[in-house]
Amino acid sequence: MKAVEIEQRQAAALEEIRAAADERSLDALRAKYLGRKGLVPALMKELKALPPEERPLAGRKANELKVAVQQALTERRRELAEARAHPAAAAASFDYSLPGVWRGTGSRHPISSIIERAVEIFHGLGFTVAEGPDIETEYYNFDALNTPPDHPSRDPQDTFYLSDGRLLRTQTSPVQIRYMEAHPPPVRIVAPGRCYRRDTPDATHSANFHQIEGLYVARGVSMADLKGTLAYFARRMMGPGVRVRFRPHFFPFTEPSVEVDFSCHACGGKGCRICKHSGWIEIAGAGMVDPNVFAAVGYDPDEYSGYAFGMGIERMAMILYGINDIRVFYENDIRFLEQFAQ
Amino acid sequence: MRVPLSWLKDYVEFDDTPGNLAERLTFSGTEVEAVETVGGEYPGLVAAEVLESKPHPHAPGLTVCRVNSGTATLQVVCGAPEVLPGHCYAYAPPGTALPDGTAVATRTLKGIDSHGMLLAEDELGLSPDHSTLLDLGPASPGTPLAEILGPPETVFHLEITPNRPDCLSIIGIAREVAALYGTELRLPGFDLTESARAVEDAVRVSVADPSDCPRYTARVVENVRIRPAPLQMRRRLALCGIRPINNIVDVTNYVLLECGQPLHAFDLELLEGRRLAVRRAGTREAITTLDGEQRDLPAGILTICDDSGPVAVAGVMGGANSQIRSATRTVVIESAFFAPALIRSAARALGLSTESSYRFERGVDPAGVEWASRRAAALIKDLAGGEILRGVLDIYPHPVGPRHVSCRWEAITNLLGVKAGPDEIAGRLAALGLEITERTPRGCTVSVPSRRRDIEREVDLAEEFARLHGLDRIPEPPPRSLVVPDADDTHTRATFALRARLVGLGLREVNNYSLVSPRLLDTFRADDPSSRIILPHPVSHDQSVLRTTLIPQMVVTLGRNHARQAAAHAALFEIGRTFSPGKEEDRLVLGLMGPAGRPPLDRRRAVTIPEMFLWLKGILEALLPANNPSRPWGLSPADIPFLTPGTAMQILVHGQSAGTAGILAPNIAAEWRFAGPVAVAEITLEPLLEDFRRIPSFSPPAQYPAIQRDVAVIVNESVKHEDVLRVIRAAAPKELASVELFDIFKGEAIGSGKKSMAYSLQYRSAQRTLTDEEANAFHAAVIEALRRELAAVVRES
Ligand SMILES: [Zn+2]
Repeated sequence: MKAVEIEQRQAAALEEIRAAADERSLDALRAKYLGRKGLVPALMKELKALPPEERPLAGRKANELKVAVQQALTERRRELAEARAHPAAAAASFDYSLPGVWRGTGSRHPISSIIERAVEIFHGLGFTVAEGPDIETEYYNFDALNTPPDHPSRDPQDTFYLSDGRLLRTQTSPVQIRYMEAHPPPVRIVAPGRCYRRDTPDATHSANFHQIEGLYVARGVSMADLKGTLAYFARRMMGPGVRVRFRPHFFPFTEPSVEVDFSCHACGGKGCRICKHSGWIEIAGAGMVDPNVFAAVGYDPDEYSGYAFGMGIERMAMILYGINDIRVFYENDIRFLEQFAQ
Repeated sequence: MRVPLSWLKDYVEFDDTPGNLAERLTFSGTEVEAVETVGGEYPGLVAAEVLESKPHPHAPGLTVCRVNSGTATLQVVCGAPEVLPGHCYAYAPPGTALPDGTAVATRTLKGIDSHGMLLAEDELGLSPDHSTLLDLGPASPGTPLAEILGPPETVFHLEITPNRPDCLSIIGIAREVAALYGTELRLPGFDLTESARAVEDAVRVSVADPSDCPRYTARVVENVRIRPAPLQMRRRLALCGIRPINNIVDVTNYVLLECGQPLHAFDLELLEGRRLAVRRAGTREAITTLDGEQRDLPAGILTICDDSGPVAVAGVMGGANSQIRSATRTVVIESAFFAPALIRSAARALGLSTESSYRFERGVDPAGVEWASRRAAALIKDLAGGEILRGVLDIYPHPVGPRHVSCRWEAITNLLGVKAGPDEIAGRLAALGLEITERTPRGCTVSVPSRRRDIEREVDLAEEFARLHGLDRIPEPPPRSLVVPDADDTHTRATFALRARLVGLGLREVNNYSLVSPRLLDTFRADDPSSRIILPHPVSHDQSVLRTTLIPQMVVTLGRNHARQAAAHAALFEIGRTFSPGKEEDRLVLGLMGPAGRPPLDRRRAVTIPEMFLWLKGILEALLPANNPSRPWGLSPADIPFLTPGTAMQILVHGQSAGTAGILAPNIAAEWRFAGPVAVAEITLEPLLEDFRRIPSFSPPAQYPAIQRDVAVIVNESVKHEDVLRVIRAAAPKELASVELFDIFKGEAIGSGKKSMAYSLQYRSAQRTLTDEEANAFHAAVIEALRRELAAVVRES
């Protein structure tokens, strides 16, 4: 076969390969050209019959044909494999805009979200979580917390008493007492939990609500430590620019006592609806543990000092998420809950 | 408490704006809740004298007056109950405007022209009082109102914490202001000229038990004339929220506001036996109080009595039988210190809180009792004339002296974390009237006056210093971290991890109240009513029992969302506490409704009970995974009243009941009109937390290949998957690595009442590669057992 003929055969072979519809035809074409009884071995044999002067050119052309056929087969095989792997993707009928199929998205209740975030922040500062019962004795809820016997907060108008004289805790502070009774200093705890007050439900009152309590007792704890810690918490919880300020206040179980304001995260302190145009939001009650509380748990107030603070979880959630009615937390409307998928 | 700025300035000098003063008070512990401006410039409004008044001929209740406005005599129609000729009132001529912007014009009222208006306090923006006209007292007609009433008043609304009763007065606040601004407190001076007649000759006083009433004083003023108090005094009372009555009563209230000591004035001539006795009420005593209420007095309540019975409820309210009348000539001024707890319980028992009881409850200054009595007597003499009898009856068996409290400079600065020198601390304490009686290089001792009963200890002095020094000067060092070595909160951390798993499974968390309605619990019959903890004094019946189970509220939550069309399907959970006598238990409740387990394109088909049940079970399987061999669990059919029979399951963990699961019974589901089956499960939290605390122990994956053999059995429909599993496991050798159910088929081809269940079994040896022959022998034993024990028709493959 002359070189020209070989070139013509090559062109025909490549066309044939490119048109192959499936793997099976490719296998047949491979046998036709490269197989033991195929064209290429036949050509090689024919070369010997050619005049010596034509042999080099025809040999080169035969080799070219072999390589080209091999490449074409590989290429076509890859094309067919790709088409097989993504049949629908290749098709215009594929609809990527259909709804996805996986199970639904869950969500934490916003109260849980706030508790978990707060605990996580205090965890990073070496606080661990302590818990206590919802049903408390007057001793843990009031007496040990230095609350005078005739203090208004003990009034049955404000506190749910049980018929056996116990009560539903009005604050998470009894956890402080239980923990200190069971552990020698130092202590560094946070206590999230459910509390109860005998309020008529309205936009800011609910029969039960949640608090998180903090307590740090060691040698040399100061009010500056309290302020530094709450300032850190404020930035982590509400945003990097948030500041804290203290206002003197009165609580039976701390002395000095303060109310703690955070600068408004929503307006940066300029004043808006959330902060009632004051730039500040009351978040916590806090102070230095009263020596009478130390006396109740057998700590030596001359050796140890400590701070305690308490914050309302619902209040924090309302401020952070812009919610203006506490009752929505307990209505559990899915259209409310699904906004907190975190 | 309200504090008018002009009144405050009577006692203390300071140079600052009201806004700054409010801020400094707030940040030193006297919270200013609001600053209000009362009154106005009143352009064009003048004093007018009523020359004559007569009833309107066509309109009862209206009065037609002729008034002298200083420049003219005009006819004005007026709706006030009492318009007295000769008195001066605030008058708005036509063409002027009231402070709220209302234009005043000449109007015709029932046929009679009214040229302008005579005004009540509310129309002047002075108080909400619309009951009478503002009587200007002696004033010349035509005087601009602004001249008589003075400039607009700034009123501070203060919130006083319960530990600071000494701040419940204008002078108390003035003392704080003086300490804040470093200026002097000026107590009012007065002249107490007494007559020759001794008070002992006019009235007798006795106290039955000095612990009920540690101090009781009485002073007498004779020959007084009852009339309205001067305008300024009446205005100040009104600004503080007290209604003026007459000069005597107004003086007692004025002194109460001024110094915080409640006073009461009796008409001596109405006191039977001219005696005042402080004693507890006996049984069946009653009194009509000044508010006109006839009250039965609870036995043991502290009263003031004359010889015939109670004339006042001590510290709370006086009696109508001894009150100051227009004919009163002789006044007894009572100033006392009553035991705070007694007054609190009295006020509560009577449901009556007054300016007096509020202060007595919190504790007045026993040393200030007598000063207030003198101050009131002097003011009465000024305003009502008469003579003050000589001396005072003062029953005060155990005088309270100042208390001495010591502090160390270093203890104060260490507690607060501030730097301050001894002079700075001593200076602040002295500014508060805490006299330094002893000073050493390490600290000092101060004398605490009896009005400051809250200062007892070093920390109390630290607080006084801190609030004056300024809490904004306390630094904010970065938090000091401290590791408490044996602290353990794995329980909480595990709960958080469990919640994360539930959320990851696509469930939504809810939060329900701890207090539930007993009727709701009754509907479910899920608990033993005798072991409920019932609140004796609930706010409402619907929230009167501590919940014994979380399931009913979960169903209510699903039902409410269904009714509101909030969602067609839902998968909810709550982690909450349940209560029974002696036990509080945290539990998890699950609730499913609608096609919660279906993909989006397959949600229209009705949900079947088996399907719903298996979704619920699937969640339980994800929460109690099988990879914890130390915690076996399972479901066991049980009789549970609120669940559909057949689906009602007890959840067993470690062989113990840990909860319930199943499809809500139709009769209960009907109450909420659910569209399809509703699944609920409740389980104690503790076993669920095990996975998050447990440290898994690794076992290496199998090294040798497994041989798979399938088997399909045709069995009666009553045969359960667990029955098949049990037979397979019992018959198979230890080389059985896994069994998986991969198909269930029912149809005519296999006959009615039958089903085909297809299983895939894997055999594997831990020691070597199994041969086909070995696997065949294992499988043959399994097939034989299935035939024998389940009467199964077996199709192998
Ligand atoms: Zn704001």
